[in-house]
Amino acid sequence: MAISARALVHGFRAIVGLDHARDDAAAREAAAVDGVVPQVIVAPRSTGEVASAIALAAAEGLAVVPRGSGSAMGQGHAPARADVVLDLTRLDRILEYNPDDLTITLEAGVTGSTLDATLAAPRQWLPVDPPGVATRTVGGLAASNASGPLRARYGTLRDLLLGVRFVQSDGVATWGGSKVVKSVTGYDVPKLMVGSLGTLGVLTELTLRLHARPETERTTLIGLPDARAAQALVTAVLDSALQPTRFEVFDATVLGALGAPSAAAGVGVAIAFGSVEAAVAAQEAELAGLARGVGGTTLASSPSLWSRYAGQWQGAPAATLLTVGSLPARVGETLAAVAQVVDAFPTASLTCGGCAVVGSFRVLVSGGRASVVAEVVGRLRAVVSAWGGTVIVQGAPRDVRASVDPWGPVAADAFALMRAIKDTFDPERRLNPGRFVGGL
Amino acid sequence: MHTFYKGTPDAVALPSSAAQVQAIVRACRARGVPIVPRGSGTGLIGGAMAARGGVMVGLNRMNAILDVDLANRCATVQPGLINLWLTNAVRERGWFFAPDPSSQMVSSIGGNVSTNAGGPHCLKYGITTNHVLGLDIVTGAGDLVHLGSAVSDRPGYDLVGAAVGAEGTFGLVTSVTVRLLHAPDAVKTALASFTSMEAAAEAVSAIIAAGMLPAALEMLDEVMIGAINAGSGADFPATAAAVLLIELDGPLAEVEAQATRAAAICRERGAIDVRVARDDTERALLWKGRKEAAGAVGRLAPTYLLQDAVVPRSKLPVIMRQMGEIARKHNVLLANVFHAGDGNLHPLICYDDRDPAQLERAKAANEELLAAAIALGGSVTGEHGIGYDKAKNLPMQYADADLNFMYRLRRVFDPERLMNPDKLLPSHPACGEGFRPQRPVLPAGTWV
Repeated sequence: MAISARALVHGFRAIVGLDHARDDAAAREAAAVDGVVPQVIVAPRSTGEVASAIALAAAEGLAVVPRGSGSAMGQGHAPARADVVLDLTRLDRILEYNPDDLTITLEAGVTGSTLDATLAAPRQWLPVDPPGVATRTVGGLAASNASGPLRARYGTLRDLLLGVRFVQSDGVATWGGSKVVKSVTGYDVPKLMVGSLGTLGVLTELTLRLHARPETERTTLIGLPDARAAQALVTAVLDSALQPTRFEVFDATVLGALGAPSAAAGVGVAIAFGSVEAAVAAQEAELAGLARGVGGTTLASSPSLWSRYAGQWQGAPAATLLTVGSLPARVGETLAAVAQVVDAFPTASLTCGGCAVVGSFRVLVSGGRASVVAEVVGRLRAVVSAWGGTVIVQGAPRDVRASVDPWGPVAADAFALMRAIKDTFDPERRLNPGRFVGGL
Repeated sequence: MHTFYKGTPDAVALPSSAAQVQAIVRACRARGVPIVPRGSGTGLIGGAMAARGGVMVGLNRMNAILDVDLANRCATVQPGLINLWLTNAVRERGWFFAPDPSSQMVSSIGGNVSTNAGGPHCLKYGITTNHVLGLDIVTGAGDLVHLGSAVSDRPGYDLVGAAVGAEGTFGLVTSVTVRLLHAPDAVKTALASFTSMEAAAEAVSAIIAAGMLPAALEMLDEVMIGAINAGSGADFPATAAAVLLIELDGPLAEVEAQATRAAAICRERGAIDVRVARDDTERALLWKGRKEAAGAVGRLAPTYLLQDAVVPRSKLPVIMRQMGEIARKHNVLLANVFHAGDGNLHPLICYDDRDPAQLERAKAANEELLAAAIALGGSVTGEHGIGYDKAKNLPMQYADADLNFMYRLRRVFDPERLMNPDKLLPSHPACGEGFRPQRPVLPAGTWV
């Protein structure tokens, strides 16, 4: 039933309207995914339109690449095929906000800033704060399981996604989960969708659990002599009743960028407490004692600290951003491993920081040819694999991802199940083919 | 509710290692024999009932704590370990395991994982899935697989997230790595009595709307209060038609400020009595009535059905009214003791099991209640699970395509459908081979 390329765009226009399916050369070039130029860019307005568009793609044997803000397009392998780019930014409606229930149902293309504005008056938030969250889409955040410093207290989208509507590879719209804060009805399909990068279904609608914003949130910035002292502070804080909302440990470069005087310290720590004023003050006092005990110095903090911190990870387009999955008791060793790599590869520059509560780090690699960046990734993997740690390329130029597996190894037993899941739900490899782990 | 579901296994196996579990699954698989996993048997949904005979695998002998790693905030345990034993093992060092189903003194962590169990404190801390980092499972295909770990970020699909709450339909859990939490600085408990359920339900909403996230927010109704007062339990005010138990934990200054505010909110909403515990002894006294609730029901009737549906928290006053109407219509006695903070209902529908007519009325009321909760935008189950009991109710919440997705997911882990058959998914066309959900009809002009 194959139809000509020219007729193809008409087929999609019959679904989304004249203005929202394009196949002109400029649009196609601009939408290229890792150099793979799509035949058509389709911008549906509803789950129904997404379903019809994917059904048409299925009938025509076309591969579909879903896209939100486009900020995670540098994640994963280059796609094996990319015939249709599904632009989901027109799915931008808040469908149902229930402040009393602390839940919201919205379309996948709603951006972080729109969501923030919606939740501001009742003083609620979706406590998910990866770099660039304001312009990213909520669907994209879920598909890539993006997280930021607030995961120290609130977890990730894995813990906040209650229900999800998605379109399967054959065009069937499907719902998983519930719209209430507590449900164990059937399999936990939302968990399967978080972080699946659109390879099992295209997310179109999400129901999220919200939290109340703390009355007061304030941050303490601490300078520490070295990674060993940082580990000591992490261990002390985690073995206390302190309840930070954010707890990041980072290298001297980041510390400098946060306004600390140069050579103030070898390692920096930023800890925020969110609560009523008296509880924030009491926790700050306790923290100051713990910090002094490990040779730490409290430095001047500023209200813009967290936006400046987020800015540290938004490097030039040529930079590579890594996520290093580690452990709370390996914070010091992870920092030391990155420092060793810095010494070994003088042409590359690295900055490093991460959430101490779970041991999840970001490493930004700038400068250095693709082969050097690939070696940096390989070296880091070799070190952290000693304790089961991981290195995942969050975003990188195409040549870097061609030089090194962006996902890293997945154990054979778990991968066999992942492949079986992909085979079950996308046997024709229609959705984001090739981009996920092991080329799924 | 489980008590009227009976099924006898043909054999019972009590393995002591993952290797034995795997050998059992492989032997059953070779002969096409169904397998029913069982922990402590405290489930409320007939999940560990041998609907089709087969081999029941009791995991109670695998009850060791394999590793406690407080520096990495986790522990690895065998599935038969009793929930409370884990907290007991780390409490002196100031740590705890957060999921606390009411059965925690006897229920196993493997069972908690399989049902994705909740508890009073999951309002703040989340249910079991929020605390599981890694799982070893012998799948229905007979493979021993290691999923997840304590490491923070891992590439690939979240198989741990998919497997928690699978009720044994994916396979048998042989090891669990769980998150441990440091105990909070302070705990403060308050008890507020109201003359109507509506007023208490509105107080719940107001407390949450004020930005508080209590560790627990439990409600008892008039019938329950009467039953508890009749026994040796707490002395709730005789005129109380609803009691709210509020527990706050966290930094001392936060807990004190919030307890004061929560108490003020309750008074504003017409509470006739508000008590705030001054120490652990008083705190235990306030919890006493709540903890004796299930036992106190024995004074009302020989047995009961327990409904576990959820409504959006803001719909609590509505569902409470509807519940009263349903009870009158079917002439049954309802007693309520439930997790009001997250809208998780737990009406106990009392009946005498010697009278078949009473059981039928109780069943009818139970189904109508569930339908009312779903109509308000709720969920079929908040923490007990689906099991055998509620499989038939799944289509209330899910369309054919949604059920079919779950059916196909199950087949990935259990290709021969030997793992806990007849549980979790209904016998429904969408849960069978060859079913294709309806695909979108493409608009005219698509084929130009």
